[in-house]
Amino acid sequence: MLRFEQVTKSYSGGFVALDRVSFHLEKGEMAFLTGHSGAGKSTLLKLISLIERPTTGKVFINGVDLSRVNRGQVPYVRRDIGMIFQNHKLLMNHSVFDNVALPLVIEGFSGKDMTKRVHAALDKVGLLDKVRCLPHTLSGGEQQRVGIARAVVNRPPLLLADEPTGNLDPDLSKDIMNVFEAFNQVGVSVLIASHDLSLLARMRYRTLTLKNGRMINDGLTSFGADE
Amino acid sequence: MSILFQGRATGATAVKQSLWNRFVMFWVHHIRQAMTSLGEIWLTPASSLLTVAVLGVSLTLPVTLHLMVKNLQQVSSSIDQAAQISLFLKADTNETQIAELIALLQANPEVADVQFIDKGQALAEFTAESGFGDAFSYIEDNPLPHVMLVSPKNTSSVAASALLETLKQERYVELAKLDIGWLERLDAIVSLVRQVAMAVALLLMVAVLLVVGNTIRLMILTKKDEIEVMKLVGATNSYIQRPFLYTGIWLGFFGGILTFLIEEVLLWWLKHAIAGVTQLYDSTFSLQPLSLAELGYLLLVAVGLGFIGSLLAVRRNISQIEATGL
Repeated sequence: MLRFEQVTKSYSGGFVALDRVSFHLEKGEMAFLTGHSGAGKSTLLKLISLIERPTTGKVFINGVDLSRVNRGQVPYVRRDIGMIFQNHKLLMNHSVFDNVALPLVIEGFSGKDMTKRVHAALDKVGLLDKVRCLPHTLSGGEQQRVGIARAVVNRPPLLLADEPTGNLDPDLSKDIMNVFEAFNQVGVSVLIASHDLSLLARMRYRTLTLKNGRMINDGLTSFGADE
Repeated sequence: MSILFQGRATGATAVKQSLWNRFVMFWVHHIRQAMTSLGEIWLTPASSLLTVAVLGVSLTLPVTLHLMVKNLQQVSSSIDQAAQISLFLKADTNETQIAELIALLQANPEVADVQFIDKGQALAEFTAESGFGDAFSYIEDNPLPHVMLVSPKNTSSVAASALLETLKQERYVELAKLDIGWLERLDAIVSLVRQVAMAVALLLMVAVLLVVGNTIRLMILTKKDEIEVMKLVGATNSYIQRPFLYTGIWLGFFGGILTFLIEEVLLWWLKHAIAGVTQLYDSTFSLQPLSLAELGYLLLVAVGLGFIGSLLAVRRNISQIEATGL
């Protein structure tokens, strides 16, 4: 599903964020990406979502070489990837409904079909009763779940999450992880960047570990790819 | 269209819809976006009003100049109607020759009317009206020539001049005169004003483009976060820029309406002053306001400028905002 081949990303000034990283995430697999801050987690996610391009090496999604995707095609690639952000990235002056509906509106949905899908996505994250609220009236955990609902509303085959439990208490974190597991169980590939080691230990999924831009452990030896 | 996953149905195309349905939805979608943009203008009344005011005032000047040219042309053409060619005949022309010439002129398809003034009749008139009555009695011969007043069928100055040239060639004609010198001067002035109007209009149109462009640019900057989020969830540039284009169109439209209103007030204000001048010249001149067609053109130009101005702004600014995400 997602394959990195000897990917290096260096920024101007010589800082190397990723150094010859290779790994392969299978279709329908769920994995964690961990490491200290500055280890390259965010850079790795940015390369997948085409916010950045690798300096050398190649990234494949479903066998498609991302270096062959031109600027005009980037939006279409992003529609196939559900992305969840640490700071939620919600539109603060639009209702929860509008926020979740955004990817659908962009793809040209409207009317009943859109409403049905938005309600289904909000139902999955348990926020159906907040559909008319504005994001700033919600708690941090609820905002994060709105972000998740937006990421899954057009049923992407690949889900990326950057510190989805960043500043949530352990109970809320567990709830959110359960939501991810539920999506994974219906066949969605999930990659979650997190430095919450205790959470990772509890979840027992494959864990990719980055340190100073290098992949020091791709988790295959400790847990096994099919878990 | 999915690039990564062949066969993954995405978007509204995933739902089977008839062609007619899609056609209707296309327009519904656009009208909805236009209305949303209108609503956003409403939400920021201060800056929108300022922009509309600048547009309105900027467009008023060229429109006023246009009206000036239009009304001057009306004046010059109404005088053109009276254009007459005076043919002064050679002194030794006898009556049969005169009759021959009159017949010839009347047969000319370019000539509407011929009026013959006998030199005796002319002298009598002149003696009566000029006040030199006594002086003329000392002159033995009548110094005045026979005169024919020829009214051309086509009264435009160009056609009248052409007729003048042919009539000059007539055998018994000593001198042919068409008093269009001052008409030509008026025409020259009108065309000068028209050129000035064009230049001013061009400059002010550029100003309008810049003003709209700058307004839209500021709007884009205040919505930077929102645009970033939209890019992150897969919005194309053309999707993001559409509401801004509609905003530009609305700004242009309201600017055009404001121009029309200012123009009407201006005309109403100037009406009496102009009436005073035209009364002195005993003229039937009436001030021509903007016609409906001209109002249509004005709105079209204003909307066009709003659209182009916003297009320039979005082309530059929206692709520059890159999703930084994560």
